[in-house]
Amino acid sequence: MIVSPPVASPDLVLDVRRRPAQLLDVPVVAAMWRRELLRYCRDRSQWFGGVSRAILWLIILGYGIGASYTNIEGYTYTQFILPGVAALNIIFASMQSAIALVWDREVGLMREILVSPAPMPSVTLGKVLGGATVAVSQGTIVLLFAPLAGVALSPLQVLQAWAVMFAMGILLVSIGTVIASRMATFEGFGAISNGIVLPMYFLSGAVFPIRGIVGLGGFLVELPPWLKALMFINPVTYPVDLLRGALLSFQQLPPGLDLALAAALPLAALAAAVVAMNRLVVR
Amino acid sequence: MSSGAGDAFAAVIECRGLTRRFGDRAAVNDVSFEVRPGELFGLLGPNGAGKTTTHRVLTTTLEPTAGTAKVAGFDVVRDARRVRDLIGVVFQEPALDDRLTARENLHLHAVLYGLRPRIAGPRIQEALEWAGLSEHAGRPVRTFSGGMKRRLELARALLHEPRVLFLDEPTAGLDPQARRRLWDQISTLRRGGLTAFVTTHNMQEAEACDRVAIIDDGRLLAIGAPAALKTRIGGRDRATLEDVFLDLTGRALRDDEATPRERLLGFGRRGGELTR
Repeated sequence: MIVSPPVASPDLVLDVRRRPAQLLDVPVVAAMWRRELLRYCRDRSQWFGGVSRAILWLIILGYGIGASYTNIEGYTYTQFILPGVAALNIIFASMQSAIALVWDREVGLMREILVSPAPMPSVTLGKVLGGATVAVSQGTIVLLFAPLAGVALSPLQVLQAWAVMFAMGILLVSIGTVIASRMATFEGFGAISNGIVLPMYFLSGAVFPIRGIVGLGGFLVELPPWLKALMFINPVTYPVDLLRGALLSFQQLPPGLDLALAAALPLAALAAAVVAMNRLVVR
Repeated sequence: MSSGAGDAFAAVIECRGLTRRFGDRAAVNDVSFEVRPGELFGLLGPNGAGKTTTHRVLTTTLEPTAGTAKVAGFDVVRDARRVRDLIGVVFQEPALDDRLTARENLHLHAVLYGLRPRIAGPRIQEALEWAGLSEHAGRPVRTFSGGMKRRLELARALLHEPRVLFLDEPTAGLDPQARRRLWDQISTLRRGGLTAFVTTHNMQEAEACDRVAIIDDGRLLAIGAPAALKTRIGGRDRATLEDVFLDLTGRALRDDEATPRERLLGFGRRGGELTR
């Protein structure tokens, strides 16, 4: 029998329980993190999605378009798009992890979490870190295709890429969490995919360069100003440029700006996610 | 309305003028009652009567618009954290992670409630045995039947030794065998001294309660032991609790718009994306 008599003193209860932390409870963060990873490992469709996107975009589109655009500042199109496809997988995985919250909150485990004494900021942090880890793993699938694109990666480059991809994961899972926390219901991933994932991807400099193409003949193409403006508003533009710097040593924006924004934006987004999740606790 | 003021025991749950409005509509309207220690207390009402709203206010996930509620001596708004420490909750729909195993679900609960690892390990094992799930501990919950999920949730709600157990329509969607088993388990717990607060619209379940409160349209209509209600309100021999219930709440059908949750559930049943 696991039920205590109702006269059990609170001190006795505290003996079998840890004294709860108010904001940062490391075991809670770790448990939420682990939960995201366990869910991911058991979801074969997500692995399949990650590999199929890599093949579709990197191999088919990369070689197909590469036949026309033979050279972007000295790189083949497949090489140019390699960091972009890694970013696509990260955007997809992050949004999927965040949007799962809608289901989780209405009919899944999140209700059990929301009624528990666990501090919500720790729950949010664990979820975001877990989602970001999943995103890094999805991005890494694309890095495995690097030799096919003729890119040789050193261990240091892989470490740099992981760091950028992790920051990007935190940014996107946090943004997704803010969105998901405000959705009452949803009709699947389609709306999110077309409304958020693809615009973020196309406007990040992942599939075409920000500053004009230098083709084989050496001519320069300028993007229309409105398109450029949209790209600079997109928070994903900066980590994508940074990732391209890490993988190809080719960057289009000032490295200092990239680095500052790739570090600051995820932290700001994480803070917003914590606030959004706290609002779910009591309505 | 019964008053616990003269009782030797302080009330475990105490509502005073509890009101919760959603816009113009009062889902719970000036409701007052007390639940005594060790009681199995049923909140009975038709769909949309305010049962789940009351459940949510008492379990600190919804703030009252007016009035107060205390659980285990703590105010559900001011001392929400203490209340959360001391209650166990079972929801209307299973609140489990389908992709995690039974053991993993229990382990996560132990961490959320701050159980020390050396305590949690053996207790999780005990809980699995109690729920009759030791042999299925390593299976993902998505392969479980409705009854197995319910047993797992009940065992989980008890893992941290709560003072009060809250169950929101615990047997909805279960077959008679699973229903029976769940009630047997709840009865066993009562002999151990646990206080339980159950919302239901099932008459048989309400019969098993020490006392029931009948709620409709957000208002408390009657409260008392099932036998007392039958004589007082049924007013004739062999009146059933169902007669009492229908006398008080009328015979009109309760049709409701689909809530976001119901729409989402429907989407899941149709096999929508991201619903596992």
